[in-house]
Amino acid sequence: MEGPREKTTAEKSTETSKRVRMMIKDLAQRAHEARAAGDPIAYLFISSCYDDILRAMDITTVGTENYAGLCAAKMSAEQYLAKAESEGYQRHLCTYATCGLGFDATRRELGGMPPNAPDGGMEQPTVMLGTGMMICDPRYKWYQATRRYTDAPVHVLGLLNPPAYYTHVDIKDVRNYYIRYIVQELYELVDFLERHTGRRLNMDRLAEVVDLSEKTIKVWHDIYELRKAVPAPMPTEDALNAMVPGYFMMGTQLAYDFYRELYDEIKHRVDNKIGTIPDEKYRLLWALSLPPWYALVIFNYFESQGAVFPIEVVYHPPPPVDIPANVTNPIERMAWRFYDSMTRGHEKARKRSGDTNVEWFLDMIDEYKLDGVVFHQAMTCRTIHTGQLHQINIFKKYSDKPVLLLEGDIIDVRNYNQAATHDKVDAFIETLEAYKAKNS
Amino acid sequence: MKFDASMVADIYQDRGKRVRELSAAGRGGVGYFCSLTPVEIITAAGLVPFRLAGSMSEPIREAHSYLETIACPFTRSALDVGLSGAYSFLDGYVVPHACDNIVKLYELWLHNIPHKYCHFVNVPHTTSRPSMEFFIEELRTFKASLELYTGQEIGAEKLRQAIDAHNKQRRLVQKIYGYRKQDPPPVSGSDMTRLLMSVMSLPVEEGNALLEAFESEIAALPRSADGKVPRIMLCGTGNEDTTFISMLEGSGARVVIDDLCFGTKPFWFEVGNGEDPLASLARSYLNDVHCPRTFRYDQRSHQDDLEVRFGHIASLAREFEVNGIIYYSVLYCDTHAFDVPDIREYLESQKLPVMFVEEEYPVSSLERLRTRVEAFLEMVG
Repeated sequence: MEGPREKTTAEKSTETSKRVRMMIKDLAQRAHEARAAGDPIAYLFISSCYDDILRAMDITTVGTENYAGLCAAKMSAEQYLAKAESEGYQRHLCTYATCGLGFDATRRELGGMPPNAPDGGMEQPTVMLGTGMMICDPRYKWYQATRRYTDAPVHVLGLLNPPAYYTHVDIKDVRNYYIRYIVQELYELVDFLERHTGRRLNMDRLAEVVDLSEKTIKVWHDIYELRKAVPAPMPTEDALNAMVPGYFMMGTQLAYDFYRELYDEIKHRVDNKIGTIPDEKYRLLWALSLPPWYALVIFNYFESQGAVFPIEVVYHPPPPVDIPANVTNPIERMAWRFYDSMTRGHEKARKRSGDTNVEWFLDMIDEYKLDGVVFHQAMTCRTIHTGQLHQINIFKKYSDKPVLLLEGDIIDVRNYNQAATHDKVDAFIETLEAYKAKNS
Repeated sequence: MKFDASMVADIYQDRGKRVRELSAAGRGGVGYFCSLTPVEIITAAGLVPFRLAGSMSEPIREAHSYLETIACPFTRSALDVGLSGAYSFLDGYVVPHACDNIVKLYELWLHNIPHKYCHFVNVPHTTSRPSMEFFIEELRTFKASLELYTGQEIGAEKLRQAIDAHNKQRRLVQKIYGYRKQDPPPVSGSDMTRLLMSVMSLPVEEGNALLEAFESEIAALPRSADGKVPRIMLCGTGNEDTTFISMLEGSGARVVIDDLCFGTKPFWFEVGNGEDPLASLARSYLNDVHCPRTFRYDQRSHQDDLEVRFGHIASLAREFEVNGIIYYSVLYCDTHAFDVPDIREYLESQKLPVMFVEEEYPVSSLERLRTRVEAFLEMVG
């Protein structure tokens, strides 16, 4: 297969999001310093409900999916993928995971950090925090497998949510025991962390962190409201950078300040009608698809054809939560936040399409004034990239907007063909043009 | 009941026949996926639990339009069978939260296959105390959904009776497996697969009668003796079809025991029948069904961890005196594929030779596999 051109990252439009690369380097540096000081370090996944606890316990975190993405963007992933394959992990497994496993196997084999590892490499964890969710098996299998290469203990946090629809159950009847489960599991996590890191959780400190997180989510969410403007003030490639403070630094003043600053910049762009590209012809939705981290420049290719992505479904901020006033315990607030974000679209879905994701697409089409939808099928991710055809089938029952399905992977460039991708984009632009002409 | 070999063959050929008859007479069937669905609750509701599967003999036709080729081919095949209408005799279906692939099937069946009833049982990934408490509540919800569907209350006594009946079934299955400790075993791996798939297509009491008749038959068989043939254990994912096992046995292996989704997994435990039947079910299905989707863990050391996760395989291998293990996984089964380096290390530490096979569903290249299998059998024989 043909590889991508040399440039992998996309040009950003907003000044604030350009700062994120330096923030990622700082995150890595903090982990190196924690290691040198003997402070605890946790491997973790995004969107796993536990960030506020880690922040309150002052445990340094290493986002392993994020590191795989960084390796892909720096074209350094292949050596780790190859190492994982030589260890017996199949090429079709999640390449976030196999990149991480390959990295950890290499570090173990060398007895130290692999040379030229991006940002100095991932530090040895003290603990590894998996999650048992409904959306991603690698979230518990990956760290279980990583024990081959590190002595760090693993904890898997149970995080479940009900499906949108049953024929003979009212979802309201299950809510309490789902939330109770998440609360109990978070307490189990605290117990695990206290045993293995020597840190103690102070509930007052956690309450402060949870408050700060909720404030941060609110500002982050407000930015996404501003993104509805025409022309698009902040495109998807910027959002894929700007999500880093929200997903890897939540509960810190740094994340809050970042989103305040980003809000001000986007507000200025909206007020002054500053768009991503000079002549915005087509506005597109990046649907429920992880991006090709080694080829984010694809967004600039769309832009060169007059198409911009004002919004995307992935790495969206969680919606501000409706937590009952009597829920004041910070761990309970965290559980409510998770449950609410995972079930918020259920009622609406039951009333129409039956699919929460499709409802989201349809809402965004209206709210962000979109002309079409683009999916990316990441070949090694069965978490959210199976069922895309099903989503497209349902979507087409309610909208005639053109849909494009690209193929590639999150990390493994061997699954990507740039020329074929460009051909598909070119043909899609023609379809958009024809659709607009027909409906004008 | 007097056993006749054609009984199993007939059921296996047309697995839905008995449920269709019963359904016409007013006792419906509920399809279910995976060994994690507590079938006792379906039985207690007066319905027939019917194990859903794909088709090894039919190529995928319609499912291509709904589910990508990167999805587990077993789930794609099962969806295809569902889309064809072949399961239309069922009242509905139950999908447990087993793995990402099976979870996806819930949405796909819900939208695309007509049903009167459907339910999702959320099975935690861990065996922690909160997970157990949650799972009890989840089973209470499952029971309530069936009560609403049938209009009949499922009391504790009905649940206990169902648990007893299914426990009896498990004991019978284990007893029949026990005969396979003999050398040569009177029951082949292919025969066992056909028998179990037939049992999982019948009401529990009829399945038990079939097992009893089968057991009487093999108990009366004279013991034979023949030359030394490698005794093989088959582990891994589901494979309800006999194509692969028949090839193994045709290549000179004796498949004497397994750790498979359509083999021992749903039968190698007994549910306690304590004061709260739902708590008993939750404990057994969460703790005793050995599937890599349930996170089991021993933090003392990597070796202890491997023992917790795979010790049951070595234990069965020793009990049935196997010469080697074939670990068969359907393509894109992430939960099994992540385990491969660990299980290889563990089985080698136990001096158990192992061969890994990852295959499409249906099996795409039997002759290529045969060459590998023959080489493996020669090595362990």
